[in-house]
Amino acid sequence: MNGPPTAPDTRDADIERTRLPSVLAETWKTPVGFWGALVTVDHKIIGRRYIFTAFVFLAIGGVLAALMRIQLAQPEARLFGPDRYNQIFTMHGANMMFLFAVPVMEAVAVYLVPLMVGTRNIAFPRLNAFSYWIYLAGGVLLWTAFALDMGPDVGWFAYVPLSGPQYGAGKRADIWAQMITFTELSALAVAVELVVTIFKQRAPGMTLDRIPVFVWAMLVTSFLVIMAMPAIMIASTSLILDRLVGTHFFNPAEGGDALLWQHLFWFFGHPEVYIIFLPAAGMVSTMIEPFARRPAFGYLGLVMALIATGILAFGLWVHHMFVAGLPRLGDSFFTASSMAIAVPAGIQIFCWLATLWDGRPVFKTPLLFIIGFVVTFVIGGLTGVMVASVPFDTQVHDTYFVVAHFHYVLIGGAVFPLLGAVHYWFPKLTGRMMSERLGQWSFWLIIVGFNATFFPMHILGLEGMPRRIYTYQPDLPWHGLNLFISLSAVILIAGFLLFFINAIRSAHFGEVAPDNPWDAPTLEWASTSPPPSYNFAMIPVVSSLHPLWDDRETLPVAAGLRTDRRELVVTTLAGAEPQAREASPRNSIWPLWAAIATTIMLIWSIFSPWAVIWGSIPVAVALIGWFWPKGTPEDES
Amino acid sequence: MRLDPPVAEALDKIALMQNRIGGTPPEVYFKLGKPYETNAYNLSQGKRLYSWFGCKRCHADGQGGSGPGFLDGWWYYGPELVSIFASIRDGRPHGMPAFGKQMTTDQIWQLAGYVQTIGAYEGKTAAPSRNDDKQTRPAENRAPAKLLFDEGPSPVHSDQGPTP
Repeated sequence: MNGPPTAPDTRDADIERTRLPSVLAETWKTPVGFWGALVTVDHKIIGRRYIFTAFVFLAIGGVLAALMRIQLAQPEARLFGPDRYNQIFTMHGANMMFLFAVPVMEAVAVYLVPLMVGTRNIAFPRLNAFSYWIYLAGGVLLWTAFALDMGPDVGWFAYVPLSGPQYGAGKRADIWAQMITFTELSALAVAVELVVTIFKQRAPGMTLDRIPVFVWAMLVTSFLVIMAMPAIMIASTSLILDRLVGTHFFNPAEGGDALLWQHLFWFFGHPEVYIIFLPAAGMVSTMIEPFARRPAFGYLGLVMALIATGILAFGLWVHHMFVAGLPRLGDSFFTASSMAIAVPAGIQIFCWLATLWDGRPVFKTPLLFIIGFVVTFVIGGLTGVMVASVPFDTQVHDTYFVVAHFHYVLIGGAVFPLLGAVHYWFPKLTGRMMSERLGQWSFWLIIVGFNATFFPMHILGLEGMPRRIYTYQPDLPWHGLNLFISLSAVILIAGFLLFFINAIRSAHFGEVAPDNPWDAPTLEWASTSPPPSYNFAMIPVVSSLHPLWDDRETLPVAAGLRTDRRELVVTTLAGAEPQAREASPRNSIWPLWAAIATTIMLIWSIFSPWAVIWGSIPVAVALIGWFWPKGTPEDES
Repeated sequence: MRLDPPVAEALDKIALMQNRIGGTPPEVYFKLGKPYETNAYNLSQGKRLYSWFGCKRCHADGQGGSGPGFLDGWWYYGPELVSIFASIRDGRPHGMPAFGKQMTTDQIWQLAGYVQTIGAYEGKTAAPSRNDDKQTRPAENRAPAKLLFDEGPSPVHSDQGPTP
């Protein structure tokens, strides 16, 4: 590391305004080249990397879905045998839930939240770098295992006893369980960073009621992650212990409990749905403002709905277990709570409708995806209310009706807003606009293809077609609809292909974007496109919910930060009063070493319990190196 | 999945030594990559067959009873897989019945592979883990013969010494 660009304890106010950017760029820079890519702690570089990786997983998970549709297009198809098909549907589910949906939402937040709250880097930037490497390792583990015919074959929820020691032969279920450990570890790390960033690093003046809705959504989501993910990590660890060391957590004969798995899994699994949906809802509330050209209707209602959803999310998990034979009273209680969560969802839907109603909407691609989201998500929500009732659920449990329902809520509720968000924030990420024409084409292909693919699955489910079957017999009345679904999937795939083509092409040849192409009101648009390494030359001061609309000409800024070291402002939790100048860590290779040591320990522990003992030594070494004082100006308190 | 009939037929042709102890498996077994020792699915199928065909009545969970135990790590006819295969298929003196008529070749190999893991000294990654039953001993993948040298109710023959 070179010496600091300015003398010790130089403040930004002491430097000429024209020289300030180059001084800050020197202090906050990431070295170019391969080494720079390994050591960087810049939330924008890591966030971009995270988003890119998640979309790669979306693409290859989509290929698995396409393979399943080819297999199911006709009865008695012979593309795959049952064993390969089991691996494929498990991989599709596990990949989409753990390697795409949750990470991509956190990735967008890693990129955007520090910009939206007007700070220079995410809290705990090295932990952020570590979390990306861990996530990557988990994904590579899962896909390598699949390529070696060792892919998990027990469904994305891996129910015992099927995944347990007696019936889950080999290491397939262990691969699944350890992939969970990887992704939850990275998700927990990001959640902690986001909570601290949002609570302590907001720009001066950004009181709780001036936080953008997306940031609120990520705050609630992060708390959901912190409270829900430990349940699944305990579950997956217990499963590995049962399988490897012969413990009896899930063995009824020795006093364990097979249903314990379902409770632990769904205590995580249901909040998981909202961990995916709430960020998407936040994106919609934030994106809708520039396109409706008015502030989002009912800010308080939107935020309260997010918080209410977050709390209710922990009281619903048993509705996944209605056919498991639980007491009637439990079933009734969870029916009621499942229906109750429709209320906050409804409040948000009506707020968005009111915003559009009263606004002067500009129908650009992001708004089209928002409207597609509202329509699709309402359909998915309605079937959700249907399956919340025990008698109906008993009929359609484990049929294609459920497959249709959750694809409507997950693709409609999360992927559509996400695609809109990519079109919307693309200029901020890359400095270039996405093509509007291709965007509109991909929207129409996706919305038509999606509904034609998944709506008939409701009917198939009512006709009794079970989930997770690798083929069906010609005399069953399902082949017509299945063929139709597979053909419609071609349209859906074409839409996604067009989206990917648009994104890749625009990143290279797109129209160069101005700083604020949508005339949006939130702080990330106050920075350049793409933002410099230090985000803001001077930390902005916020006096309203829509700083860029209310202070159009000049945004007030705060001065007094040191330029010779990485420094940012820490503010109070509620009132965002400036409290202190806080150092932000420099680039470091140690997060990568720590991630490699952790990866070795976790993968080794699939094969031998001793890995936990011996593997912890390199982890300890890496952590000591991580925290060892490096003698940089950031070490001063 | 059912084995290809020609493969199954070839797998049945083991070459035993004159005293019916030890020998070589057929060529095709190596061509297939020793599936009955290395493939976790085959080993766990073997474990299922072990209880389905009543092995437990004489051998218990490997501790032995009226038949010899496996957990003690002693093999009357040697630890080779072909010997175990021959014992199951053709039977042995003093009460071991022949199962050749009741099981397919594939099943006999699976069962033999599993029985070998019970008395193995080293843990095997592919070996099955515990069942969802009452536990009488550590699971096969924990290398029970080494962890738990257990003579069981039928002691080892005096010619064979006290420990493996």
